Amino acid sequence: MRGDAIIDAERLTKRYGEIVAVDSVSFEVPEGEIFGLLGPNGAGKTTTIGILSCLVTPTAGSARICGIDVTKDSLGVRSKIGVVPQEIALYPTLSARDNLVFWGRMYGVPDHALKQRIEEILETVELSDRADSRIDTFSGGMKRRVNIAAGLLHRPSVLFLDEPTVGIDPQTRRSILELVVELNDHGLTVLYTTHYLEEAEFLCNRIGIMDEGKMLAIGTKEELTATIGATGVIAVSADGMDESIVGWLRSLDAVADAALVESELTINVIAGPNLLPALVEKLTSSGAAVHSVDVTVPNLESVFLHLTGKSLRDRDGSPAEGEPVGKKT
Amino acid sequence: MKALRIALKDLRIRLRDRNTLILMLLLPVGLTAVIGFAFGGDAGISAVEFLLVSPEEDGFPAGDFLTGAAANFLSQIEIFDVEVATREEATRAVSEGEKSAAILVPEGLREAILEGTPAEVVVLRDPASDIKAGIVQSVVERFVTYASAGGIVGRAIFETLEEERPLTDGERWQLTGWMLRWMYDRYREPAIGIQAADTEVEDVNVHAYFAPSFAVLFLLFTMLGSAKSIHEERESGTYDRLMTAPVSRATFIGGKLTGSYLLAAVQMLILILLGSIVFGIRWGSHPGAVVVMALVTAAGASSLAVLIASIARTGSQVDNVGTAVILVMSLLGGSMWPVEQAPAAFQNIARFTFNYWAHSGFKKLVFLDAGLAGIAQEIAIVGAMSIVFFALSVRLLSRR
Repeated sequence: MRGDAIIDAERLTKRYGEIVAVDSVSFEVPEGEIFGLLGPNGAGKTTTIGILSCLVTPTAGSARICGIDVTKDSLGVRSKIGVVPQEIALYPTLSARDNLVFWGRMYGVPDHALKQRIEEILETVELSDRADSRIDTFSGGMKRRVNIAAGLLHRPSVLFLDEPTVGIDPQTRRSILELVVELNDHGLTVLYTTHYLEEAEFLCNRIGIMDEGKMLAIGTKEELTATIGATGVIAVSADGMDESIVGWLRSLDAVADAALVESELTINVIAGPNLLPALVEKLTSSGAAVHSVDVTVPNLESVFLHLTGKSLRDRDGSPAEGEPVGKKT
Repeated sequence: MKALRIALKDLRIRLRDRNTLILMLLLPVGLTAVIGFAFGGDAGISAVEFLLVSPEEDGFPAGDFLTGAAANFLSQIEIFDVEVATREEATRAVSEGEKSAAILVPEGLREAILEGTPAEVVVLRDPASDIKAGIVQSVVERFVTYASAGGIVGRAIFETLEEERPLTDGERWQLTGWMLRWMYDRYREPAIGIQAADTEVEDVNVHAYFAPSFAVLFLLFTMLGSAKSIHEERESGTYDRLMTAPVSRATFIGGKLTGSYLLAAVQMLILILLGSIVFGIRWGSHPGAVVVMALVTAAGASSLAVLIASIARTGSQVDNVGTAVILVMSLLGGSMWPVEQAPAAFQNIARFTFNYWAHSGFKKLVFLDAGLAGIAQEIAIVGAMSIVFFALSVRLLSRR
């Protein structure tokens, strides 16, 4: 596939002194795909996007966008990509339209085409009626949408979205994810970073799981979950658990992996239902107060647990369990 | 082209910001009004009255010639009311506030000029007439500059001629007379602009002294805010976004510098216009020179502010370091008080500041009706400062 890849990263490495932010990361993204980089904060996702968008010079390795080397022709690469950074990179005292005019010109959109493109993109992000309002009068979600619009004006071949839904309400999150799907339906290749499992599962054709600068696994959701060899996942919410319970679980043949994060215990099981009675008895006898026990099929959380021995879930930041993250058509 | 787009975007953001407008226009105009009234109201100065004291030398004509020539020249400037007096009369008149100042021409001035021996022209000042006395002192400073230059020329001529044969006393007097007339002509034209002074300068407004000094002070503060936007762009993520667009770092730096300069130029020109409208300041009879001085001052202020921003690591550092630098420089350079009152040593320190030279240029435009040639020194020094600040800024920013 390397010859057809629109994004081609090969053994990318970035060191800051002793710290290795990105450690020999390789992946390819074919045209038209939504590729997700999933990992916790500090996993190296943003640095990887930084290298691919020519903001960060790699210490080693190489990367090409549309066949153009990021270190040899950065202006060529930058004309092919759209970048939506995690922060709202807009001028707050200018209107949405003025911001888009400025960014359009910076991306080299010809003056004769700019006005129409702005109207189109404002319609796409459903902000036509607020086009002339200042950005600092917008809600967080509206700012996010203009932030995305600014990265699309020049009709890039690839769109980099760096955690675009951090800190926003569920409704706005949903509308942004649906917008990404819509853009992808029109042929746009997307590289999407997130630490939200649900977003990666909902949105991405393929997912690369990163942690501590390394690319741990790449594949579709199904391919990734198949690698862990578990048939089910038990999630226990209880007070009074400690690491001894994790040690006990890992000693069992029926358990593939287990991790405890605060009062949440996650277990990848090979034979789930048989384990439950013994687990509840063990918890009760150790003095833990069990609030709930859920049994589900393996998901990306299970994969991350399997790969790292840690839980990825950030209960405060993630969409609520069962909450639809979007409506994929 | 993209650099200009960045500059125009910055200009637009700044001119829409209410705080910037207050800092740019309202504060300098307001302070000029308050301080101007405190120093003498808006009645203006109808005349600068001072005395000229000749040394009682032993019949040698040079001192008399100098005094007479100077009195003749100075009396042609309409705002100057000059009389020749003795040292005792002058001391009494100045100390009792009858005259703003007195110029004491020292004995041995001829030797000082012709042979380079030390001599000191003393300006007695009435502390209650800071502005008028400052004007007189400014005139004396120019005279001394030209006299020193004339002396150097004269000594060179004497030495050259005496390599052939010794000069007679008659020849030496003849040459001395010629040299003094040369000095007088250089002094009179073009640095002072006699004709303009005769016809244009009828009334000197006290606000005219403070308007340019506060304009320079607040120009620096406005520029600091503008230069700070380099860090604000980095901190808000717009700089990174620009760097993911087909925009080079040089374009970004060029845009920021151009934006700062445009804002500075707009501010200076508006403040000059407001000075005329609000305070009735007459900026002299050389509008081209006023515009050039304003634009050079804008270049100096904007490049100094960008230099501070390029040294600082964060936006808040720009505020802290920049405010300290501006306040110290403005205090030393005379943007907050008439630096002419200060001892000579202090005035020498003032000459190392941007404020001193920028203000000096405007004072010459207003009070001496100088043209471009008259403010050439100020333009050269402020321009040189601008180039140095600019070059250092670009070097530092390019390394980031």
